[in-house]
Parts: sequence; C-alpha cells; structure tokens
Amino acid sequence: MNKFQYLFHTRSGRKNFWCCVLSVVIAVIFLFPLYWMLQISFKSDMETFGKVLTYFPHQFTIDPWLANLKDKDFIASLKNSFINGFLTMFITLVFGIPAAYGMGRYKPKGFKAFLLVFLVSQMLPASLMLTPMYLTFSKIHLLGTYFAPTIAIAAGSIPFAVITLRPYFKSVPVSLDEAARIDGCGVAKSFFLVMVPAVKTGIVTIVVISFLNGWNDLMFSMTFNVKPEMRPLTANIHKFQSKYGTKWNCIMAYGAILVLPVVIMFIFLQKYIVGGLTAGAVKE
Amino acid sequence: MKRKVLSIVMAGIMILGLGACGSSSSTTSTSSAAASTAQSTSSASAASSASAADTSAAESTASSSTSIPAVDPNTNGAEEITLWHYFDSSADAKAIVEKCNEYNKLQSKVHITPTYVSRTELMNQYTIGAVSGELPDIGMVDSPDMESYISLGVFEDVTDELGSWDELSNFYAGPLSSCKDASGKLYGLPQNSNCLCLAVNMDLLNKAGITDVPKSMDDFKKAVEATTDSANSVFGYAMCAISTEEGTFQLLPWIVATHDGTKSSLSDLTNANCDPGLDMLGSFVKNGNMSSECVNWTQADAYNQFCAGKAALAEVGTWHMATMSKDVNGTFNYKICLLPTGDSGTSSSTIGGENFGICTGCKDKAACVEFLKWFMSADQEAKWAVLAGKLPVRSDAKPEYTYEQDAFATFQDEMNYALARGPHAQWPTISEQLYTAAQKVLLQGTSASDALAAAWTVISPILQESPLPQQ
Amino acid sequence: MKTQIRSRKDRECYPFILPAFIYLLVVVGYPIVYNFVLSFKNTNVKNLASGSSVFIGFQNYKELFTDPTFLLILRNTFIFTIACLAFQFTIGFLFALFFYKKFTFAGPIRGMILVSYMIPMSVTGLLGQNIFLNTGLINDLLSRIGITGPEWLTQTSTALIGVIIMNNWVGIPFNMLLLISGLSNVPQEVYESSSIDGATKVQQFFQITLPLMKDAIFAVLMLGFIYTFRAFDLMYIMTAGGPLNSTDVLATYSYTLSFTQYQFSKGSAVAVVLFLCLLIVGLFYLRLIVKGEEDT
Repeated sequence: MNKFQYLFHTRSGRKNFWCCVLSVVIAVIFLFPLYWMLQISFKSDMETFGKVLTYFPHQFTIDPWLANLKDKDFIASLKNSFINGFLTMFITLVFGIPAAYGMGRYKPKGFKAFLLVFLVSQMLPASLMLTPMYLTFSKIHLLGTYFAPTIAIAAGSIPFAVITLRPYFKSVPVSLDEAARIDGCGVAKSFFLVMVPAVKTGIVTIVVISFLNGWNDLMFSMTFNVKPEMRPLTANIHKFQSKYGTKWNCIMAYGAILVLPVVIMFIFLQKYIVGGLTAGAVKE
Repeated sequence: MKRKVLSIVMAGIMILGLGACGSSSSTTSTSSAAASTAQSTSSASAASSASAADTSAAESTASSSTSIPAVDPNTNGAEEITLWHYFDSSADAKAIVEKCNEYNKLQSKVHITPTYVSRTELMNQYTIGAVSGELPDIGMVDSPDMESYISLGVFEDVTDELGSWDELSNFYAGPLSSCKDASGKLYGLPQNSNCLCLAVNMDLLNKAGITDVPKSMDDFKKAVEATTDSANSVFGYAMCAISTEEGTFQLLPWIVATHDGTKSSLSDLTNANCDPGLDMLGSFVKNGNMSSECVNWTQADAYNQFCAGKAALAEVGTWHMATMSKDVNGTFNYKICLLPTGDSGTSSSTIGGENFGICTGCKDKAACVEFLKWFMSADQEAKWAVLAGKLPVRSDAKPEYTYEQDAFATFQDEMNYALARGPHAQWPTISEQLYTAAQKVLLQGTSASDALAAAWTVISPILQESPLPQQ
Repeated sequence: MKTQIRSRKDRECYPFILPAFIYLLVVVGYPIVYNFVLSFKNTNVKNLASGSSVFIGFQNYKELFTDPTFLLILRNTFIFTIACLAFQFTIGFLFALFFYKKFTFAGPIRGMILVSYMIPMSVTGLLGQNIFLNTGLINDLLSRIGITGPEWLTQTSTALIGVIIMNNWVGIPFNMLLLISGLSNVPQEVYESSSIDGATKVQQFFQITLPLMKDAIFAVLMLGFIYTFRAFDLMYIMTAGGPLNSTDVLATYSYTLSFTQYQFSKGSAVAVVLFLCLLIVGLFYLRLIVKGEEDT
C-alpha cells in the first residue's frame, strides 16, 4: 500500500488526514499575528500609513529593520538578553529542581509553610516590587550587574518550577529510587542519577520557560541596569515607542527582532522540547 | 535525551561564567569595554566633532543626519560626572553627546558622561532614587514634573551656588520658575522651551475652498469640518489626548482660552469659558472629524498622522520643526500658525521644556553648577535651539535658525500666550483630572461642563491648600 | 507503608528545599513586608523627603473601598481573570488532548503554536495595539464578512475584550504546554486495560485522565490564576489602563498611584489588596493539595 492509499483509503489514514487539516487551521490562526508583525516590518512608511490595509508588503523595504539594527547598542543588547535568559534558567534549575524534589517526594514538617511561601512569592507583579528590591540590591551592591535582574526574575520562576515539577517527582514510582538506594546510592546520588532523569519532561518545560522569563523581562532589567551596555533588547521598548510613535513598520521590526532569536533557537531545539514533552517520564 | 538537556544546561553555565566574569569586575571591564568601543568609533566621533565646529554646516544637516556620535572616553582621569537625559529625536540625541564632548575638551577637571534613559524610565528612576538615594549627578526633567521631584528630594538646593549668578536675570521668568520650589529656592536651570502651534496642510485647506489659516475657534471648526474626507480616510484634525502628561499638555490650550473677551484659567474650572474648546473636540470625535484613537496617541503619533497627510490640521510642538520638512517630504505644502482656541486674534498654548537639576548626593556640586552655567549660556542656548529645534530659555540668546524660520517666529510669538503648568508639587494629580475629564468628553459624550465639574471636586481642595502661581 | 518510609527519612529533604526557601524569603519576603508597612502610612509626594509620614491605620483601605475608580478596577481585574482563565484552560485542554494524539503534524505544529507564548508580553501588547486599531486587522477581517467592528481600544465597553483576546493568544499555548506535560505522565497501561474493559473515550477521559491529572490541573489553574490576576505588562503597553480606566487592573493602578501620582501608601494598599486576593486563592489551593495527599 503506497502512502497515498494509506492517507485516504484507510480509517486511520483518514483520521490522520483530518487531524492534520485541523492542526494546520489552528496553526494558521495562532501564527497569523506573527506573520502580521513580520509583513508590517517590511513595509515602507507610505504603505504603513496608506488608505488601504494591505496583507503583504507591496513596497518591500528593509529600512525599518535597519532603523533598529543600526542602534549602536544592538549587539550588546542581544548578548545581554541571552545572558539574562541563561542566567535566569541556571538559577532556576539550581534552586528549583531540588526544592521540587524535596516537596514532591517527602512530606516534611512545615510542608504547608514551604508550599505557601513558594506560592506567595509569585503573588506580586514585578512592577510592585521594584522599589523594595532596588533597596535590597542597592545594599548588597548588585545594582548594575547581571545578577540584580536575574535574581529578581528567578524569584518568579523558582516557585513556578517547584509547583509544576512537584507532581512529576510525585509520580515517579517509589520502587525506582528504592532500587537505587539498595544498590548503594546516597540521597544525592539517587537524586542526580535516578530522579532528575526520570522527570526530564518537566525539566525541559522549566528550561524553556525560565529562559523565556529571563529573555522577556522588561521591568527588572530596565530598573536595575541603567547603563546602555548592560541592557537587554526588551528595554528598548520605551525608546522606540516615544521615538517612532505610530510608525508601525519600525515598531513591528523591533518586535520581530525581539522574537526572532528565540524562535530560531527553539526551532533548532524543537526536537528536544517536543521530544521531551511526549516521551513520558516513566517507562518501566 | 539526557545528554542533550545536559548540554543545554552546560551552555547556560558557560554563558553564566561569561556573565559572571563581566559583572564581578564590572568597574574595570565595562570601562575598558566602553573605551574600546569609543576607540573603534573614534574616527566617527572625530568627524562629527569636526562638523560641529563648522556650525553652519552641522546645523543645516542636523535634521537629516541620524547617527549619534560616541561619547569621548575619559582619558585623563578627570572626575566622572553622570548626566541622565531622555533626548531621543535624531537631532537632540546627537546634540547632547556633542555638547558633552565639547565641554570635556574645554576643561580637564570633570568628565561629563551623558546616558540616555527613556522618559518613562527616568521618571521611575527618580521615584525609586528618592527612596534609595541612587541618582545621577545631573538629571534632566520635564518642567511640570520638576516640582514633584524637588518635593520628593530628588534635586539638591543650589541657591547658594547659582542664586548670585548675574546672568540669571536674562532667563525668562516662566521656565526659571519651574526650577524653584514654593519658597523660591533654586534646584537647577531650564535648558530649552517649547510650546504648541497649529500645523496646517495648505493643500487640503485650499482644496476645501479655504485660503487662509484659521484665526479663531469658529474658523478652525469650519476648516476641520471642511477638510474631513472620510472616503479617503483623512481626518480634519489630529491631536494627542492620551492619558499622560502629554495629553494634558495638548488639551490645556483648549480648556484655558479666551471666549467673548474673557480668558478662563485653571484656578476656576467651573467657569463656562473652559467648556467650548472641549465641547468642540468632543463633537469632532462624534462627527468623525477626529479619530477616537487620539486618546491612545502620543504627540509623535498625531504628528505622524499629519505628516502622512491623514490629518489636515494638527497640534504640533516646536521640536517637530527639526524634522517636519523631511517627514512631509514635499508631498504637500504646510504652514504653522497660532493655535486658534478662542476669539478671533486670541490664542492659547502650553509651555513645555526641559530642566536640568543637580541631584541629591551629587559628587561635586560646584563643578556641576559650572557645567550648567556653560550649557545654559546665551551662546550655547542659541546653538542648541537651532540644533534641536527648540526655543531658548533666555532673552539674550538669539538663535539663527537655518530652516523653518517663519515657523520658529510663530512659536516664539505663541510663547506670549502660553501657559506654564504649575509649578505645583501635586501637578500629576491635577493633570490626571484634566485628561480624564477631556477623555470623558471625547469618548463618552459627556458635556465639558459636567466633566470639568467632576475634575474640579478633586482639583479644588488641592489648590485651596496650595494655589497655582498667578500668570 | 510508603509514608512510613518517607517520614523516617524526612530530614533528608531539608538540604533540597531550604536553599530555594531562603532565597525567596530574602528576595521576595522583604518587598511584601515593605508594601504592607507602607500601606498603613500616609507617605506621599509631600512628606517622603522629610520622613514625616505617620501610621494612619486602615485609612488608605477605607478610602479605596469608597472610591468608585478603585471599585471599577477591582471589577475589571476579576472580569479579566475569570474570562482569561475560562477560555485559556478549556481551549488549552482541548488543544492538549488533540495534540497529544499521534498524527503526522502533531509534533511540529504543537511546537509552532508555542511561539505566541515565547513572545514578550510587551511585544504582544504592541501587536494587540496594532491589530485592534479602528482600521486594523480585526476590523478589516470583520468588514469582509459584513460586520462593522467596534472602535475596540478607544471604547470603554470593548477595550477590555481586546486585552482579554490578546492574553488568551498567549495563555492557550501556555496551558496546552503544561497540560501536555501532565498528559504524558499518565501511564499508557491504564488506558490499555480500561479499553479492554470496554470504556468509551469520553468515559476514559472523565474516569482516568482527569483524576490522574488532578495535581497537574490544580497547578495549571493555580498558576494561571496568579499570572492573570497580577497581569501588568500587557495592559501597560497595549492600553496603559485606558480609556478612562476601562482596562486598568490592580497591578497597573497600583503602579500608576506610586510612580506617576506619588501616592506611595495608597499604591501599596492596592498592591496589598491584590496580594490578599491571591493569598485566599493560594490557601484554597494549599488545602486541596494537602487534602488530596492525605487521601492517597
């Protein structure tokens, strides 16, 4: 049976076909705003302000991109965005995974208090903690370093890691680490060699989301780092908003520049992310 | 899979290592990085300072050149003075760096390092700085905000250093008063002034059968209605009515205007003369003469609408003159005229402008004051006005504009009818009430008298406690 | 039997938990206390520098709850949260179930629609501003099917809807991501044995999937509630809370009070109200979790 016959003449083939159609429809709806952003970013000023709304650039130009890329701090900002992303991810993994393990596998004294603190720490948005955090970082001389914003951002993603990873650790069969213990593994060794690999699905999610938290942060990086050479890409938003006004082509090029490195990175890593999500944590 | 996750983590650790190296020795590594970027662009900055010396050439190209020169490195170990500003148009962003470089060459005691911080962020930094004490040495501030920051303790009293300066009498009273607190102490100096005028697309006006720019509110209303062309999505009028200080800035002239020979004022918003302007703007939105999106537009947005030919008339600021001919790009003829907010021959506008203050905890107050005296000298004021498309803040500064001379003359004339906002420590609250009232008129069809009466219930007690200065 | 083994070794877990616990106490604990203390004072533009502010008890709260603007903002916050949660969880769950199926495009497209979640909220806000323009994408599409769209972001009645739609664009993939992870942790063997028993797909979903995913679902809803209720960036960029406070929520309002009105204590009081609302939900979640764990 060839592929065509499979697609249309078997029950599972037809089902597969319609699932694919539906998924394409969903993808088009979800990706259209992104396409919209891209196509505006290649329009001329004239077309952006034109009478008729166009769905693709009739006068193609890369000027809006150049307006953003020519910014003298662009390369530094790009680097800073990556540093913010990776540093946040690193801090989150170092503190978050062990805590999630402790909270998922054990029922220690003060369990409720711990869980409450992990929840409560997410309850104020960045914008409302700026002043007191600034005071803290000022006292311990962290202002103007990459640590000030990332420590603050990670304070949001650590609880996220704990709350989302906890159920994973809980679902790992007790037999698994008991077996490791019998083989002579210590607590630490069984954590690293048995438990962490068993919840890799969840960890991939945390890696993705904590990196994005760092990359996408606006408030913390802007407030704790004033020096232009320390600021990430997101921090340019006010600069471009006041400079461009409704020059949508330039604004959308800025947006695309912010999104593109992440999208490229994730297309490259998609295999791992999607793989991680479907693998299933425990295959006994 | 495990190995791959591990490799991602490893990549993260490596980058972390880089970041940590960069920040742990932050003072040395960043300053050397700054020096190296400055070196690599030294040819560019040399070129730009050369063109700055040839002022006429630099001035005539100020609006077309977009590259911002690099800040010269501090090579001779002079005392580092940090200056925060929010100049972001191509003309003034370039000018501030050039001026600091120029001053750093002129003397060797201090080295002024300008840092751009967008206006919104700068306001946040001052507010947080008021609590934490981390502030730059010299800070730029929008004139109506200065009084609040003085009250918050962001700026330092420099009356002793500046009060006896004999050139102080050459400064215009309005801008200078915004640098003082209620008891007359001085906290900085005004650097530039601007106000609002009406930009008119003459092609569209002529097409509608009107030959001259409007001189009264009635003329204006007719012009706006006649030029509205919804078939071609052209609105008669564009302005900024956003819910920030920018909105208040552009709305105020329509509230404080002269009708039937009497001028209304902010000291009594229940006066019936405050209403006609707002009611007219409300009818514009209702009848499709003005887009309701004006409540989300910044001044740059309204200006863009005009330059794109999508609005026949628009409220524009002095600073727009630096780029207007380039942005209109010969697609139509335009004229600048006084804002026709009331009776024929009368006008009203709002004074805008930026001040520079010495921040609390400044390293070297005397040196900063010296810089301000140089930066706001008659000569520099005149040059700045031309470079950045602004008006000088002192009467003895005579800018020789090389472009848009007529427009600048109109703006200079409009200054006579322009209202200063405050100074008042609670101006932000007053301002919020004003734009809220206007938005009710624009969006919900509330009558101006009702909307302003509601605003007055909040503003009145504030003014009773400490009134606005007479003007 | 299990729990006995665990309780004997419970002390082992402290080195795992305490570093994160202390980290959060130091970094986030202080800001929360700071806001609480400030909310009981009368600190504002006039007395911050002189330090002459005094404690005024519940005065700020009394003023807030008689202020129609604040009540409107409280209402906006709840409408926004509930609308967003309802849509993003339901649609997100349907997507998760759909993309968990094995079909040719499942993997790639599941990855693709995650892109909208990867976009910084600030850019989402800008994009929202653009497509909801009076003559923007949404209204253009509507006019093609003969509907005259409203002036979305300049009308008090529709602005919040625009913001909710944009938030869902981000929230749906986020919910899907977490719920797919949850689904993948339900062992396949359970389904296999139940299908032998003759259970239909719908029965399987309600009798197996839902109960087994209980913890993951609680976590998703809980986090969704927190993130939506404290939303800030989207409104801040897309509408700045306007027009006329119609898209202002507790977070943006608190920020405006503190940073543009310099009414620091009142701003903190709003932040505390935001915090307390979330705390109540958090305690509820905690009870569910603890109770659920005692049952098993």
